[in-house]
Order: sequence, then structure tokens, then C-alpha cells
Amino acid sequence: MSANVKTNWTGTRAWLRRMPMRRIVAATLLAMPAAALADSDNFVEAGRGRALVTAGDCVACHTAPGGKPFAGGLALQTPFGAIMTPNITPDNATGIGSWTADDFARAMHEGRRPNGTRLYPAFPYTYYTKVTRADSDAIFAYLRSLDPVSNSVDRNTLPFPFSIRSSMAVWNGMFFTAGEFKPDPNRSEEYNRGAYLVEGLGHCGACHTPLNALGANKADRYLQGGQIDSWTAPNITNDMQAGLGKWSVDDVVQYLKTGQARGVIASGPMKDVVENSTAKMPDADLKAMAVFLKDRGAAGGPAPTPVAASDGRMKVGEAIFVDTCAACHVRSGEGIARVFPKLAGATVVTQDDPASLIHIVITGGQAAATATHPTAPTMPSFGYRLNDEQIAAVVTYVRNSWGNAASPVAADAVKAIRGKVTGPAD
Amino acid sequence: MIDTSDRSAMRAKFAPPAEKPRHAGMSRRSLLATAALLITTSGATAKVVTKVLPWRPNEAYPVPPVVPGGWLFFTAEEASVVDAIVDRLIPADELGPGAKDSGVTTFIDRQLTGPYGGHDWLYMQGPFSSNPLPTQGLQSPLTPRQQYRQGLAALAAYCKANFGGRGFADLSAEDKDRLLAGMEKGDVKFDGFSSRMLFNAVHANTMEGFFADPIYGGNKDMAGWKLIGFPGVRYDFRDVIDNPNKPYTLPPVGMQGQPAWGVR
Repeated sequence: MSANVKTNWTGTRAWLRRMPMRRIVAATLLAMPAAALADSDNFVEAGRGRALVTAGDCVACHTAPGGKPFAGGLALQTPFGAIMTPNITPDNATGIGSWTADDFARAMHEGRRPNGTRLYPAFPYTYYTKVTRADSDAIFAYLRSLDPVSNSVDRNTLPFPFSIRSSMAVWNGMFFTAGEFKPDPNRSEEYNRGAYLVEGLGHCGACHTPLNALGANKADRYLQGGQIDSWTAPNITNDMQAGLGKWSVDDVVQYLKTGQARGVIASGPMKDVVENSTAKMPDADLKAMAVFLKDRGAAGGPAPTPVAASDGRMKVGEAIFVDTCAACHVRSGEGIARVFPKLAGATVVTQDDPASLIHIVITGGQAAATATHPTAPTMPSFGYRLNDEQIAAVVTYVRNSWGNAASPVAADAVKAIRGKVTGPAD
Repeated sequence: MIDTSDRSAMRAKFAPPAEKPRHAGMSRRSLLATAALLITTSGATAKVVTKVLPWRPNEAYPVPPVVPGGWLFFTAEEASVVDAIVDRLIPADELGPGAKDSGVTTFIDRQLTGPYGGHDWLYMQGPFSSNPLPTQGLQSPLTPRQQYRQGLAALAAYCKANFGGRGFADLSAEDKDRLLAGMEKGDVKFDGFSSRMLFNAVHANTMEGFFADPIYGGNKDMAGWKLIGFPGVRYDFRDVIDNPNKPYTLPPVGMQGQPAWGVR
């Protein structure tokens, strides 16, 4: 664990600069609440917590667009309505300044507030329950070292009947198993470290697992791919066809560290995950996660039959691809290494759910920018040039060319996503 | 997007005046109102940009596609004369359709209703030289809208007086060509308007309409591009360059695609 602190040392400078002042303030201001004085010198603890907060990508949800980090206010869109994320800076009135480490651990492990009311599982306590108490305390110590930000967030935005928080007791009874991570004694330490990160703080399954009608991850489809904000979260089991089966451990590490591997480039929400979280994680942790994902097994749907090249949609799609896409992605779908993503053999292209392909054709997108690959290539939007039928055709073509095979895409699927991400086509 | 509900208002806005105005076909007030109506991105005021880049990632600036049919600036009479002129400048022949069939008149009509028609982005306050050097560029207070309105009226008057009451569209092909050649040289004298200015305006706009992207109303079915072998909005030719001395076979493609993309 000392390796984590060391690796993140340089990035901690801004935080370190604030520390002496914070300690002076803590020593002189008697009016500070007792909780703030509890840890007289939590320097190492908070440094460790900072690395864990990075691994958990807490900042992604607990920051509003253009807002102060960790001050909350982002509207998380759920099938049941929008949930505004809370302020987790140590502000007494609007943040978690009055919380104790026990309070924080209870939220992490049980999904409950200090007063006992229940949090919604949009806060992934179903995953964070696996975090050790020691790590929870370290995270809390880091959050307490942040500058308090006064930002009041309306925490009760869900409509009736979801507004009744006690109903989560029933939900928890159906879908929630509390308890810290239990290492598998038959597996390596590295595998167990990876499992702890993926199943706990990393909460990878929250996006990469489909949801049931009640908004819970389907346990029998764990890590077999899901959808978030009209983007596809691909299968990340070791499945040969749709998952990581053809990826090596090094490929997975490279992807998480740089945002690129095997010719594909992270986009959509995964771009943010890479930029905010995995690119800043220690290599040893990334390797552990990769080892776990590669070794835990494969699961996925049956391999689909490719749509025939003679299909009318394929012919239209090919014409659009040649005229519109081939300049960057190349006629053979090979792309250009490190600049334009490869489409031939890319698993995100052949997921059963085509949301990401449709989404990025409509809106365009920017790839992850990381310390090792800072360029962040951009794809322009084509939503204004291509109608729903044309996008369906070109996406169907990309999903079924150069050895790719995936279900054809209907214009209605494009229309549905267009309605969520932009206005309708003219 | 100019939809049909705006068209009557637009036509009224650009309708020729009942009487000949003292200076121009359009008052400053109505020109400003027109500009406000038509211009989405104002060129009138400079914007100061500091600290941030003046664009957002992935922004696209789609062109509202021109919907053919009817006239927004021209009267029916004016449109028939412009049709007749552009049909002589680029006539249909064995190589393909001409300017008239390619929608060039529609292209000019829609351009005249936009910022081009008012020279909205040009300094138009003068002074204007009466005997300018060629290097001095545009030296006239007349906007394209005024040039067409006044120039077509002068042409109509000239034809009426010199061809037995007939209009330009009713002349024989030989008479049209002779008259256009005279206008090009400036030999033909219209009453109160430079015949050469009208010819130059229509001539330049005809080429623009015939070779501009079809989204602007002309170059229908990419006829202009097919004529000269222009590939359209493609921008990567590595596959072609790797095959020297082999014919280039890809069809031209416009901003709205090409027929193989399916029906829009």
C-alpha cells in the first residue's frame, strides 16, 4: 500500500500545500467541531485516501458541470428520475463536515445516512460495501482535508413513489448483500487485489452490467455489458466474441492507463473514467484489475451471424462509410494507430447494444487525453448530415464488415437515441 | 431553415417598390430589418474573445438545405429572365444539364435573400471611385439585391424598347447571345443602369450556383461536378493515389450525400 502513496505523491502537491494551514487552523480555532480535530495528524492516511478516491472516481459524480470538485450537484439520470449528488466536502451546513468516520463507513457499507435514512443505490454502496473499514477511514480522512465548499443540493428530486427513501429497505432486501470483500484463498494476491478494486471502489459493474426493472444490476449478467447515458458499456468478462478474450493483461493495463489499446480509444463516459481515475492509478493496481478481469471467467451471448454484404442496408451503409468515415477510419476499418480508432475487430463495435456507435455518429466525441497520450483525437458529429435510416445503415455496415458480426440496427433505435442526445433530425 | 410559412413575409420584404426610389431599392430601415430576419450569425459587430477558445468541441454548423420551389426574392417575371440568361450562359448540351435545369436561378434567389444579397459583410459606406483601378475591387454602393432589381428592370425596359415590346425571355437564342455579349463588353447602354454590372453579377453567380454544393439550391444532382470530374466533399484520396494511371470511379458526394446513401 505504501507504493500507492508514493506513486501518487507528485499529484498530491496542491493538497500538500494546504496542509500546514489546515493544521494551524485546526489548532487555533476552538470553534471547529470536535470531529475535525479527531485525527491530529492524518497526513499519511489522507494521502492513501486520495489514491482510493481516485480509484473510486468519486469526483465524477460528486461534481456538477463547472462546479467545485466534490461539492456535488450533478443530476444523475436514472430510469426513476434525476438524483442530485450530494456535497461531500467537509462543509458543516451543506457537506459532510459534521460526519464522523463511523458515519462515513455506515454510508459506504450500508447506504445509510447518520440519521438512518437510506441512500439510493445510484450511490454504489452495493459495491462500496466491499471496501475495508481501513480504506473507508482513509477516504474519509482525505475528504476532510478538502476545502469546505458551501453548496446546498436538493437531495429529494425523485418523484413519488421513489421519493419514499424507506422503500430502499425492501430494495436492499432483494438486491443488496452487505459485507466487506473476502479474498479467495485459492487465488493469487494480485487477483484478489484486482477483485477488491473492480468489485469495490472501482464499481465497474455499475455500468458494465445490465439493470433490471428496479434499477439493480442483474447478478446473472455481471460484467456482461450495460448501457449508461446512451453509451454502451461493453462486456468486460473474458468472453472471446464480445469481451476481453482477445485482449492480453498488458492490453487492459495500457487501455486503463492511456485510454488506448489494440487500436481502440476510450470515448463517452469511459473517457472520463480513464482521465479522472484509471490513468492516475498505480500500474500495480491496474495490472491486478486486468489479471482479475482476465482470470475470473467468460460469459456472453452466442456469436451472431453477420448480416450479408448483399443486404440493402449494408450496400447503403457501405456507400456512406466510403464517402464519410473511410477518410479517418480507413476503407479496411483499420483506423490509424493512436489517432483514429480501429473498427475492424473492435469489441465496442460488435456489442449487442449499438448505443455507443449510434451516439458517437450523432454527436461526435472526444477521446481520452492522458499523460501518455495527450492528443485526445476528436470525431466530428454527423447527426446533422445523416438521417436515422442512414445512421442505421452505416452502423449496421460497420458492425458486419471486415470480420465483424453483430445484430443489424433499425432506424427506430437511432431515433430513440437521437431523441435523448439531441433534437430530432430535420 | 426557411420554411414556407415565412415565405410570404419574405416575398413582401423583397418585393420591388411600386415606384422607383430616389437612391436604392431598399431603405436602411428595411435592410436592417431584413438583416435581423435573415442573419443568424451577425457579421455586423466584432466579438472580443478572451481566455477561452471561441468554439466548443464537436460543434457542427449545418447549412439549412435550400428547398426548391417558388421565389423568395425574384418576382416571377424576374425569375423567368434570370432563367433565360443562365440558360444561355451554361446551356444544356450533350455533356449534361445546363444551369437552368440545375437550379441555378433558385440558388441565386436564395443567396440574394441572405447576407450575400445585402453585402452584409462588406464595407459599403464609400467613397466609391467613378473610375476605379481593377485592383480596387468593388466600387459601387449597390448591393447584389439592388443590382438584380434595378438591372433586371433596366434590361426589361431595354428589350421592350429595342425588340418590339418583347421581353428578354421571348427573344431568339441568337438575339439573346448577341445582347448578352454586348452587355459583357458594356457596349449595350441601358437607361440608368450599367449593363455590364448586371452581366457580371449573373455571370459570376451562375458559375457559383452551377458548381456550389447542391445543398445551396444549384448544382442539382451534382451536374456541375460530374461535368468537370470534381469528387465533391471527399477529403482523403490515399487509396486512389496508391493506384496511379487507374481511372477514378467513385461518384461525387455532396454535403447531403449522394444517391447511394438512400432517399433523404
